[in-house]
Amino acid sequence: MNMRVTIIAALCIGLCCFLSNTVNQPGVQAASVEEPILTVLNPMGTPPPVQLKPMAPRLDTIEGKTIYIVNDGYPGSNILCAEMQKGFSEQFPKTTFVYKDKRGGMGGVDQALWTEMEEKADAMIIPLGH
Amino acid sequence: MCAPGVTGLAIDFESRYKKPAIPVVLREFQEQLTDVGYAKGMPGIRIQYILGPVWGKTGEQLRKAVVYGNNPITGKPVAQEIVDKITKPLTADEKQTGEWKRSLGPATYSGTAAELQKLFLEKRYTDFMPVILPTEALVDEMLKATSHAPDEMLGRMNPGSDAGETWTYTVKTAAISAVMSGAKPEYFPIILAIGSTGQTGVNVSDNGFMAGAVINGDIRDEVGLNYDVGAMGPYAHANTTIGRAWNLLSINGGNCGKVGTTYMGTVGNPMNAINIIIAENEENSPFEPFSVRKGFEKGQNIITLFTGWGVLSAKNWKANVWGTTMDYPKIIKDIFDQQDSMFGTIAVLSPPIANFVKDAGYNTVEDFTAYVTGQSAAKPKAKFGGFGGFGMGSAFTLVVTGASNNNYFSMGGMRPGQSIEIDPWR
Repeated sequence: MNMRVTIIAALCIGLCCFLSNTVNQPGVQAASVEEPILTVLNPMGTPPPVQLKPMAPRLDTIEGKTIYIVNDGYPGSNILCAEMQKGFSEQFPKTTFVYKDKRGGMGGVDQALWTEMEEKADAMIIPLGH
Repeated sequence: MCAPGVTGLAIDFESRYKKPAIPVVLREFQEQLTDVGYAKGMPGIRIQYILGPVWGKTGEQLRKAVVYGNNPITGKPVAQEIVDKITKPLTADEKQTGEWKRSLGPATYSGTAAELQKLFLEKRYTDFMPVILPTEALVDEMLKATSHAPDEMLGRMNPGSDAGETWTYTVKTAAISAVMSGAKPEYFPIILAIGSTGQTGVNVSDNGFMAGAVINGDIRDEVGLNYDVGAMGPYAHANTTIGRAWNLLSINGGNCGKVGTTYMGTVGNPMNAINIIIAENEENSPFEPFSVRKGFEKGQNIITLFTGWGVLSAKNWKANVWGTTMDYPKIIKDIFDQQDSMFGTIAVLSPPIANFVKDAGYNTVEDFTAYVTGQSAAKPKAKFGGFGGFGMGSAFTLVVTGASNNNYFSMGGMRPGQSIEIDPWR
């Protein structure tokens, strides 16, 4: 009997010690106190000012108009543009669709083509953003 | 970057000639191009979205999927939508002019550490890992490591090509990123040198480009850069946090790394995590340091930035099958011959491999480069503006780093760019 009491008492003391150690750990103790309020800096850089540009007025109709389909040179864009030229001509036979390859790299302006379109095109379709 | 590129061209065309221009783009770029429209001053630009991919398909497939197909977002026929975009009158919003007003938030945020970590994550100020919160005190401590004024403009950066705006950032912006990365103040001049170039650590390209740097000079030991065991791995404080600071500066200062808008890597690139920061093992290399070969004095503190695909163990190539005897110069040459020319080829050699090369009779990197590249003249050399507009030459770059505990090395595609002196940023 005395042995049982001794064992139970020892376990109780051990449990108390364990709990006491646990609440003394910094992470656990912090939960019981108010966390400090920090002030930190916004890490963002500075974007440039942007002036909005007016969009071009739309056409009343595409009938009788000339629309350029411009290949920017991305792989497959030439095939897509050729198919667009054929397929759109079938679907909208009263409109002229003109296929053109653009020079000057994918993102560059082809001034000669731009000048041609200023004169001859009513609108432009430009694939391809892959 | 084609999607922002064609969108920019369409905006340019509409602005110049007052005629409708319709970019045709894969649906995956919708979020990105909304930003591009704002950035280029025409948020209403009417973009036609289509089902991709286009590259690799036949005319018949494209005819079915695109020309007679539907917009995958709206479900309506592509052809009719294009006509509508050309003919439907402009709305009041589309006619707006003036300056686009936007807010990047307050100068400071307040909250508990947990709240601020959450906020930084939600605002995408981070690389998805917890950061050291940039209090004024920590940022001031970082700024003490340079003589440059906090409000000095350090650089201009964009995510690459036309995909995003070019933002500016100051020395203080870089200090905030450096604190967030966990960098020590003594690393700050290196971070400033990187920031001064404007080169992003996180390129937008769907290719998944990575960034890297090679550091030469006494600063390697001064700040504890690792060029021994695990030199390219993440387990070195200086290498890791400098690479991370570069990325955080790119994300926050340079308008980069936002998935869906300013980051579009199709499958991504794990080397984007902290970039590859290589300190060259000058002491155990048989060759002149990389910076000396670039024209600087030995001992000068120089950082050279790279961009490309990254590197991989040379063991991945059949040319490097292990045997009792190994002809390393030939192995490197054979691997070079297998590389695409877009970013050229880099060999990151451990000191034993570099010494094998030297012992084979190549006394300089120039001699060895002539051997590696000279017999590959028949290899088609891509020219810029070729297939897809890609191809930047077939250069060969060699650097030496790492330990001597085995005959291992890495190769891949990384092209050296700017070399910058670090000391002016102290």
